[in-house]
Amino acid sequence: MSIPVEKSKHEHPETRIAAKERRPVRTREDGKAYIKVYVWELPVRIFHWINAATILVMIVTGIYIGKPFLGPLVHEDATAFLMGWVRYIHFFAAFVFTANLLARWYWVFKGNKYATSNPAQKAFWVETWQTAKFYLFLRNKKPHYTGHNPLAQLSYWIFIGVGSILAMLTGYYLFFEPQPESLFGRMFSWVPMIFGDSFMIRSWHHLVAWGFIVFIVVHIYMAFREDWMERNGTMSSIFTGYKSEKKLKGKQHDDESTKE
Amino acid sequence: MEKDMQTIYQSVLSRGFSRRDFLKMCAVLTASIGLDYSQNSEVVKAMEVSKRVPVIWLQLQDCTGCSESFIRSSHPKIESVLFNMISLEYTEALSAASGHQIEEARKHVIENYPGEYILAVEGSIPMHDEYLMIGGVSAKQTLLETAKHAKAILAYGSCSSWGGIPAAYPNPTGAKPITDIIKDKPIVRVPGCPPIAEVMTGVIAHLITFGTVPELDHHGRPKAFYRHRIHDKCNRRAFFDSGLFVESFDDEGAKQGYCLYKVGCKGPTTYNSCAEMRWNGGVSYPIQSGNPCIGCSESNFWDNGPFYTRMAKIPGTQTTINPEVVGAGVIGATVAGIAVHAAVTAVMNKKSDKSNKKDKVDTSDKGESREEDK
Ligand code: SF4
Ligand code: SF4
Repeated sequence: MSIPVEKSKHEHPETRIAAKERRPVRTREDGKAYIKVYVWELPVRIFHWINAATILVMIVTGIYIGKPFLGPLVHEDATAFLMGWVRYIHFFAAFVFTANLLARWYWVFKGNKYATSNPAQKAFWVETWQTAKFYLFLRNKKPHYTGHNPLAQLSYWIFIGVGSILAMLTGYYLFFEPQPESLFGRMFSWVPMIFGDSFMIRSWHHLVAWGFIVFIVVHIYMAFREDWMERNGTMSSIFTGYKSEKKLKGKQHDDESTKE
Repeated sequence: MEKDMQTIYQSVLSRGFSRRDFLKMCAVLTASIGLDYSQNSEVVKAMEVSKRVPVIWLQLQDCTGCSESFIRSSHPKIESVLFNMISLEYTEALSAASGHQIEEARKHVIENYPGEYILAVEGSIPMHDEYLMIGGVSAKQTLLETAKHAKAILAYGSCSSWGGIPAAYPNPTGAKPITDIIKDKPIVRVPGCPPIAEVMTGVIAHLITFGTVPELDHHGRPKAFYRHRIHDKCNRRAFFDSGLFVESFDDEGAKQGYCLYKVGCKGPTTYNSCAEMRWNGGVSYPIQSGNPCIGCSESNFWDNGPFYTRMAKIPGTQTTINPEVVGAGVIGATVAGIAVHAAVTAVMNKKSDKSNKKDKVDTSDKGESREEDK
């Protein structure tokens, strides 16, 4: 394999986004021209799949709870417990989802540099704009990223970050709503002050769920597109953790430039 | 007003009831205030010493529905409330007097019983004065004037508690609940459109018996009556858990008494006592009679409709949507957008490949399809 020639017609600077590097990123030779970068460490991959699975389960059960689209198999069977079970599964998935998310937050402070994101810097927003232009097929100065580009990071902040928090606050309030005096009931008793009455809280929960569905559709498309355009193993990376990067002259890979 | 010097016990006796009747009345009262039977003796003691309390009942932007409900209380019987416990000095619906005469009566109470009388308010307050003037005085002014020396204020009905129907979209009068106007007095919210009669009398009975407002929840509603959602005490709840739902009002499920969730029941978001106390002296309540709960005791219930569909409200608006229909539409639009984006990507890709081939650029399999903008 030979080193591909840069095809860019205009400048594409290196990223200026600083990321905390707690340990060197693991790499592996991949032919002469390529290197395999260990981007997603095991906890990140586990998080991703548990998160995906629980969200999927909660979407299906959640839609059922909002619009029960099936009756029990034996109709008029009053001993059936269909809605009861669906709700039970929904709640169970919610607890797994929460524990998983907490573990991921821990990993933000323990993982490699691809496991974190820091939007509190100018470069982040400048490059988000460049990335947005890139995806709109406009002239842009989007740098190359091994991990997530800042636009993707922003979408995770909005959906996996804020979206999850909204869904959890409203969801746990609703879950403990019949027992406001209990410990957990009191923990979430302030939620109505922000979100409004029971009906509003339900509406928030419902609308956030649809936000998640939109996110999933776009996220899957983006991942496939990245894989297709870059041929860098984006799709397999979420199973193996490795992404392919071309070797750069005099450099190991692009990570050098992002060191603080 | 010499009658007001009598205690409630005395006034019961003077009406020809026996002590036994009085004790029975107290027992019913204990139950209807939402107290434990062990507290019965406290109620008896309180009724023996407390005096009848003057009450001013203001009707502002209302429909008199709350008054109508109130006079149908069966335990305590409305007669015993009206004649023994309270002395209703001012009410538009029930007083024989009218005009200046009745306005005078109101002023008389304010002057002679400062800090003692109870103010009951039915209806909401328009922010634009011209929408409601009584005796030449704006609703807001009347309310402020009467509230100033009241011992406690009862917001009867969803109108005075939340704004209610007058405050529903587009709210032409700028209707507001009384809690937005009076901030320095204890206000008990007794929402409902109208509230259950026994809840209304129960709250006032508590006030008179103990001289204090009952224990309230975060929204200022008495916990004894608004602690539970309809859904948690609903007689159709077993069908909900089974997944057996009424699909339309003429189907087999409706006949069998299945859960009304799919025909828009607001029971899961509604705090009220209908499922326990029921209406008209405990005869029935909407869900029992086959109609979904419309959530009339919740704020904005009129805007949370339509009543017979499950909806979600867009935060910050008075607009409800069908989340699944809108959601499916948004997903459809997203997928269409993705299809266009993918198509453009493919075209751009071909173009850049061609131009690269023309330039005889190395096209190793990994590099050839890299985005030009990389
Ligand atoms: S709460 Fe309902 S019943 Fe009472 S005054 Fe308002 S509209 Fe009428
Ligand atoms: S009828 Fe309404 S309140 Fe009763 S169980 Fe069904 S949804 Fe809940």
